[in-house]
Amino acid sequence: MQPFSYIRPATPQEAVGAFAQAGEGARFIAGGTTLYDLMKLNIERPRHLIDVSAIEGFNRIETDGDRLRFEANAAMSAVATDPVVARDYPVLAESLWKAASQQLRNMATVGGNLLQRTRCMYFRNGAGGIYPCNKREPGSGCAAIGGLDRGQAVLGTSDTCTAVSPGDWPVALVAMDASIEVLGPNGTRSMPVADLYRLPDTTPHVEFTLDPGEMITAIVVPKTLAGRRSTYHKIRDRESYAFALTSAAVALEMNDDRVERARIALGGVATRPWRAPEAEEVLAGQRLTPELALAAGRAAFRDARPGRHNGFKVELGARTIADALRIAADRSRT
Amino acid sequence: MSVGPFSDRARVDALAKVRGEARSAADLTLPRLLYAMTVPSAIAKGTMTALPVEAALRVPGVVRVLTPDDFPAPPPFTEDGPPPPPPTLETTIAYRGQPLALVIAETLEAAIEGAETIRPTFASEPFACVMESAGAQRQPAEDVAFGDVPTALSFAASTVEAIYDSPTQHHNPLELIATVAVWEDGQLLIHESTQASSLVKGAVAGALRIDPARVHVRGATIGGSFGQKAVQRQTALVARAAILSGRPVKLVQPRGQIFHTATYRTRTRHRIQIGADAAGKIVAVQHHVEQEQSPGGYFAVSEYHRDVIRMYGVQNYLGTGADIRLDRQDPGYMRGTHPQPACFAFESALDELAYKSGRDPVELRLANDTRVDPQNGQPLSSRFLNECLREGARRFGWSRRSPEPGSITAPDGSQIGWGMACGIYQSATTPAIATLRIDARGRTRFAISGHEMGQGMHTAIAAVLLEGLDIDPDGLEVAIGDTRVAPQHMTAGSWGTNSVVPAAMQAAERMRSAFAELLGGRQVSGNLHRKLAAIRRPFLQIEVSTLGPGQDQSALEALRQGGFAVAESVYPGFSTFSYSAHFVEVRIEPGTRRIRVPRVVSIADCGRVVSPRTAESQVYGGVIWGLSHALREATEIDPRYGGYLNVDLADYVVPVNADIGEIEIGLVDQPDPLANAVGVKGLGQVSMVGISAAVANAVFHATGKRVRELPIRVEHLL
Ligand SMILES: Cc1cc2nc3c(=O)[nH]c(=O)nc-3n(C[C@H](O)[C@H](O)[C@H](O)COP(=O)(O)OP(=O)(O)OC[C@H]3O[C@@H](n4cnc5c(N)ncnc54)[C@H](O)[C@@H]3O)c2cc1C
Ligand code: SF4
Repeated sequence: MQPFSYIRPATPQEAVGAFAQAGEGARFIAGGTTLYDLMKLNIERPRHLIDVSAIEGFNRIETDGDRLRFEANAAMSAVATDPVVARDYPVLAESLWKAASQQLRNMATVGGNLLQRTRCMYFRNGAGGIYPCNKREPGSGCAAIGGLDRGQAVLGTSDTCTAVSPGDWPVALVAMDASIEVLGPNGTRSMPVADLYRLPDTTPHVEFTLDPGEMITAIVVPKTLAGRRSTYHKIRDRESYAFALTSAAVALEMNDDRVERARIALGGVATRPWRAPEAEEVLAGQRLTPELALAAGRAAFRDARPGRHNGFKVELGARTIADALRIAADRSRT
Repeated sequence: MSVGPFSDRARVDALAKVRGEARSAADLTLPRLLYAMTVPSAIAKGTMTALPVEAALRVPGVVRVLTPDDFPAPPPFTEDGPPPPPPTLETTIAYRGQPLALVIAETLEAAIEGAETIRPTFASEPFACVMESAGAQRQPAEDVAFGDVPTALSFAASTVEAIYDSPTQHHNPLELIATVAVWEDGQLLIHESTQASSLVKGAVAGALRIDPARVHVRGATIGGSFGQKAVQRQTALVARAAILSGRPVKLVQPRGQIFHTATYRTRTRHRIQIGADAAGKIVAVQHHVEQEQSPGGYFAVSEYHRDVIRMYGVQNYLGTGADIRLDRQDPGYMRGTHPQPACFAFESALDELAYKSGRDPVELRLANDTRVDPQNGQPLSSRFLNECLREGARRFGWSRRSPEPGSITAPDGSQIGWGMACGIYQSATTPAIATLRIDARGRTRFAISGHEMGQGMHTAIAAVLLEGLDIDPDGLEVAIGDTRVAPQHMTAGSWGTNSVVPAAMQAAERMRSAFAELLGGRQVSGNLHRKLAAIRRPFLQIEVSTLGPGQDQSALEALRQGGFAVAESVYPGFSTFSYSAHFVEVRIEPGTRRIRVPRVVSIADCGRVVSPRTAESQVYGGVIWGLSHALREATEIDPRYGGYLNVDLADYVVPVNADIGEIEIGLVDQPDPLANAVGVKGLGQVSMVGISAAVANAVFHATGKRVRELPIRVEHLL
């Protein structure tokens, strides 16, 4: 614990202004379900908290027109149960309601969700410098490599970090080609959700491409009929209330039993929300059979680099994709 | 004494718990309370060379930092004296997470911040923290043997041999370990989440060199204990802080630290060999077990043999084992204790034997019934395991099972497996001393030893008193868990309820005679309170004490002294055990191989059932935890660093509601004729023992794959 200041601005502009003014050690806070947790673990030590949760009307869910637009403060539970989202975009709804618990989903926002940090146990439990961790202490090394790595990533890893990008929602968004609207000291911009996340490379402590003081204001998902034939399939160590061992967000455009176009993104296995074009290519224009589905799943893991205890994620991940394809394809077109 | 069946009663503390009115130690707030936080060791072995506290003292609100210098030297160890108390603060480091200093402050935040500023320096030494570590010391344990195993095995018609592994696990009750110490007028009052208030009293008095008569311990409502909440290292630290500061001090240990300081179920490896004759009778068992152990740990290897030996009529048994001494904190008792991993191994091996010899697993067990304790030839006072087996098989529909592994598939392609296994646990007894007082104003107070941890002891005692006495139920107070009201036993090992219920029964009887004597034949109407009022007696009080089979007055004296006075269940002249039989259905997804357990039937023989509702609740909890032992829980240790890695409830995976299917419970409810006057036997432990083997056996039946290590996860079946 260290003392920090706390303010509740009334508008996004005010929030961004307050951030710029506060300078070093400022953090936005929304639902607080990630940030407070990380503060208790001594990972985040903010000096100024800028609470965006009181901003009026910053939680709107818009489903008219040719896109879905969720303002950053919309609760996970609100988006998950929105009738249009639930009916036409099961992949989005499922990625939310298969995450965390109802209590957390009521508190947590869809904006804050994008910026949650890894569950790598060496990262989280390393207070007092017990475990070397390049994310926590740049240059200190990585305890997970050569350690208890059952939960670690097999895709997108580097020699400095193998930590999994933990969120489910970002995976579904990446599959659906979503983008975010960002407000910063220099005005607004927009970028694909996929571009928000960096690979660990040699700087695993730099996780996001947001500039300091930039705030996510909304998430925008282009509408597509593929939404109806979609699913978020999540395999975990218990039936509920756990992060993914492997997960697959899948949405299909079908012509009878032929796949015109598949969108596939993976969670639980990669250092960032992982789009799987290799798997999509296997399916394009093909009749969907169980064998083909598994072949697509295996293609997604062609470049996997497992460690000591997480090799099973390669096969499990492939089968997760195969099952997700079946579930999505079985969903009616109407 | 003959006792009829007991009627269903609500938990006496249900309303208070649901309304949030039940108060546990951590809930206590007192005027001028100080908050404490410990500083854990970052290294696994070595010496603390410096403990700089200046920065901590500069944190606003920090009052004091206790260091090793603030504690008396440990008491000298004597062979026949009480067990040594846990150490206090020391500069020698025996395990990672060992407390090195205690910060006390005006607020919890200041205490935490103060503790975080303290970065001791260390001289580290090489350490070993898992079985495989270089430097682990292997220390053979005493053999437990009877008969002639090699000869019997050489004549066996079929034999199986395999190795089974059970992981490190931590109790993780929802309630954290909490101590509040108050020092006033030379008396130390400790409120603690403990199932062993008398032992805490003795340990604190010993560690701080205070006269035990001045130390009082109260373990009020406990939010789950399961063996974890016996004697903690933290208690004497908090007590010392209260004495030095002259203010009440509270410490609620964070879960991540509890993993490192409290006891845990240690990792074990069992090699089991079983031989059976042509008729399916088990002729010999060889069981070698090795466990991870602390340097001075007392958790005895030999006890892995105690119960399993007595499950079936086995004439030849060779039990061997070893402690692997490591730089860890002490392992200890966790629900199911030794029989938990031992039965996983033994009952899995028995399933392998059933397949190898072409027998039905239920038939195989039925055929190995016994009326005598095979180790010493004396009678078993009651053994209704075969009744459990038959009833369980009937309810589960076992006769419809096709034995071939992999032979049942659901329409969605899931593989279905039906497995079963049994459990056993000793039914030990502790003496009890109780006072019962009924007054003319509608109040009844029963003071006795015991702790309410959610298991329902409170309700069971109330059931017996209300069944036997015409008193006002709303005026009944059951005072337990407090060294000030009665000598307290450690409530553990499933000996709690079966020891206090007979005392309550006897107290009710004694009270009825006292009333008869008092009234001398006069007819006075109304309940007992009214009767007292009518004859102008303010109250009537009686005292009773009970002993375990074969115990004499010295056991009562030991109880009064706060000692450990438990009679283990191999009593003079007979042996008493509880039994369970579990039937489990698993469904395994065709692709990703997730294991679901839609259905469990579990039948237990716990003697007479005194409180049906809390007894069934015990079995639900046991079954669920058994499923967790089989499929979820394991504490991860990185041997390079020592300590534990997955130290919160997100990463230490316990089941959630969605993991639990249908659980059907049955209780044989046949009184044990010898163990005590009511015929009660223990239930808490035995309800869990054997479940994990039933799951593993079901997984084999579903898939043909025998998994011999726990927890069973998707990767085992991919
Ligand atoms: C026990 C537990 C289990 C969980 N299980 C899962 C799970 O299974 N799957 C899953 O996907 N997630 C899970 N989560 C994570 C949860 O989804 C996130 O904590 C939550 O979505 C974060 O949202 P929040 O509003 O609370 O964010 P906060 O904690 O308020 O903020 C998170 C981060 O985002 C920043 N931030 C917040 N809002 C903005 C904004 N508008 N612009 C810029 N930056 C912002 C903050 O500065 C902070 O760095 C779990 C969390 C917990 C505690
Ligand atoms: S994997 Fe990344 S987060 Fe985990 S210990 Fe290594 S560097 Fe740290």
